[in-house]
Amino acid sequence: MNEPLKPEKAPAGHGGQTKSGATRREFLSDVATGALGIAGLGSMVVTYRYLSPNVLFEPPTTFRAGIPDLYPQNSVTILPEQQVYIVRTDSGFYAVSAVCTHLGCITQWKPELNQIACPCHGSKFQQDGTKIEGPAPRPLPHFAITLTGDGQLQVDKLEIVNSSQVLKV
Amino acid sequence: MPDLENKYEAGISSNAKKDPVRVVFVTKKTSAKVTGDTSPQVMSYPHLLMRESIAFMVLVIALVGAALFWDAPLEQLANPLLTPNPAKAPWYFLGLQELLHYFPPLVAGIIIPTLVVVSIVVIPYFNVNVQGKPLWSENRKRNLLIIGGVLIVLGILLVLTDAWTVLAPTALIGLLIIYSYFSVEGTGAFQKYLAARPLSWWVMTWFILVAVVLTVVGTYFRGPGWSWVWPWRSHVG
Amino acid sequence: MANTSSAGGTLERLRATRVWKSVFRRGPARTNRTRSLAVFGNIFLHFLPVKVREKSLAVRASYYLGSLSFLLFIVLAITGVLLMFYYHPAVPQAYRDMKDLRFVVSNGVFLRNLHRVAAQLMVLVVFWHMFHVFYRGGYKPPHEFNWVVGVVLLIVTLFLSYTGYLLPWDQLAFWAITVGTNIISAMPVVGKQIRFVSLGGNVVGENALLRFYVLHCVVLPLIAIVFIAIHFWRVQKDGGLTVREDNAGPGK
Repeated sequence: MNEPLKPEKAPAGHGGQTKSGATRREFLSDVATGALGIAGLGSMVVTYRYLSPNVLFEPPTTFRAGIPDLYPQNSVTILPEQQVYIVRTDSGFYAVSAVCTHLGCITQWKPELNQIACPCHGSKFQQDGTKIEGPAPRPLPHFAITLTGDGQLQVDKLEIVNSSQVLKV
Repeated sequence: MPDLENKYEAGISSNAKKDPVRVVFVTKKTSAKVTGDTSPQVMSYPHLLMRESIAFMVLVIALVGAALFWDAPLEQLANPLLTPNPAKAPWYFLGLQELLHYFPPLVAGIIIPTLVVVSIVVIPYFNVNVQGKPLWSENRKRNLLIIGGVLIVLGILLVLTDAWTVLAPTALIGLLIIYSYFSVEGTGAFQKYLAARPLSWWVMTWFILVAVVLTVVGTYFRGPGWSWVWPWRSHVG
Repeated sequence: MANTSSAGGTLERLRATRVWKSVFRRGPARTNRTRSLAVFGNIFLHFLPVKVREKSLAVRASYYLGSLSFLLFIVLAITGVLLMFYYHPAVPQAYRDMKDLRFVVSNGVFLRNLHRVAAQLMVLVVFWHMFHVFYRGGYKPPHEFNWVVGVVLLIVTLFLSYTGYLLPWDQLAFWAITVGTNIISAMPVVGKQIRFVSLGGNVVGENALLRFYVLHCVVLPLIAIVFIAIHFWRVQKDGGLTVREDNAGPGK
């Protein structure tokens, strides 16, 4: 089984070449490589699906915010766990995201300045989410806010609505 | 380098200035070894490495096949207040747990495993019978007396401690040893084979047999309270 | 797959690319010199000898038990790491994670089964490997030290299996480990202290779970890797695999 020293050039391996250009050895080699490739690819797909959780234990994205009377007229109330402001104006309710659109810090409502301010890089927003100044690229989004059958406010963070939309109560 | 029959020839120029890359002169059919060896050798790549790759693929196929059919068990949440009956160790320790049934924890749990490990470790350093001479090749009568004596003492000890799951395989080995002693010209192949085994083989085989019997008993034949059960009568193990 | 280039199959054309050649610099291993270099010059493969005795390649020579032990270790490491992504070593979260793996996680059942099957098989194969090396005399000089390294690896394997056994935190796990650690406390003088340190307390509780988790996932695998490396290295340096025709072993 010891092979004698061969010159350094790789041998062409073309013995028995068919008209289509592949020897049996090359064909089998390709099939084997393909099979291993499929196995490898399959393993990667299976692993990726394994690593993507099917169930998350994070706070729900649709939540209830209590009855409208909890919120005084012309107020801005932050719900810290959901990271949402419930804003009540003369025309009605809307829900504004408290997450700064710059890099994700949680903003703070400053009633004395009538502004929503982000502590990280100084972005400032009006209470309807419009940007006043700062590095934030977009205004704060509004979430869909509805009234449930038993008279509670319900916010759905997955549904972004137009900032002019207001829930009349 | 050991004295070789094949002399090597430097067929390539080894001018250090012109061709500075040198690995080692590999002579035909040999390698740098501790002792001289003339059996034929082959390159690790491809022969060994391809075989290892195949072994890996076969292993993965077997494992995946087994994993698709056998589910790992999951019992109730751990409850410190409720001991299942019986409370069994993992299978590789069940032999030990079976021994614990006969001997106190210090003996069965500490002394015997330590002795076993120490014995296994010192095997190569004892070098008592390097040539592997059969047990009955010399001093037949003397060896028979010693072996017989050891077996009788061991047997008495095991009977006194009621450790019959150890006694049974020991007795079997004892019988086989005696059987091999009486191997003469014209006896069967198996008997001749046994007669050619050295003492170290007998000791190791005895150890393996006892360990296997203990483990099998601990897995399948022990039920609540470590009592004896017949596995086909109760779902144990 | 018809090939039109003169270099041959797909693999050949891949090998001819510049990128490939910058990684695998010696070219295809078609001469004995390049084959030697492929093994000798590779950081992973240099644990193996450049040449092996032809007789040692037969399945009957070793049943590839040593190789299988190592390959099983690799399978266990990969499946183990994947399982770690869903497992919290806390009480009782660990048990909930086991249920999570079984009912919720895609392919969770399969992966856990794979890990467990490989673990059981590894204990079996490692024992069998030791017995087979004994029967073919592979422990004789100059291989004594490697035999001892092998015994160390056997003990590490048993401890790996034992520490892993606790992690599901079910009744089976809890009581098996309780029995085991009570045996340890029977050791004279130091038994109780050893039990105390290994459990992180007097009972099998959250400390024990965390300690066993660290041992199982970090400490013992690292020790195993070091000793596996020594084991391979010694096989290579002591002259390769022992084949029974060369060394009259103690029997069989």
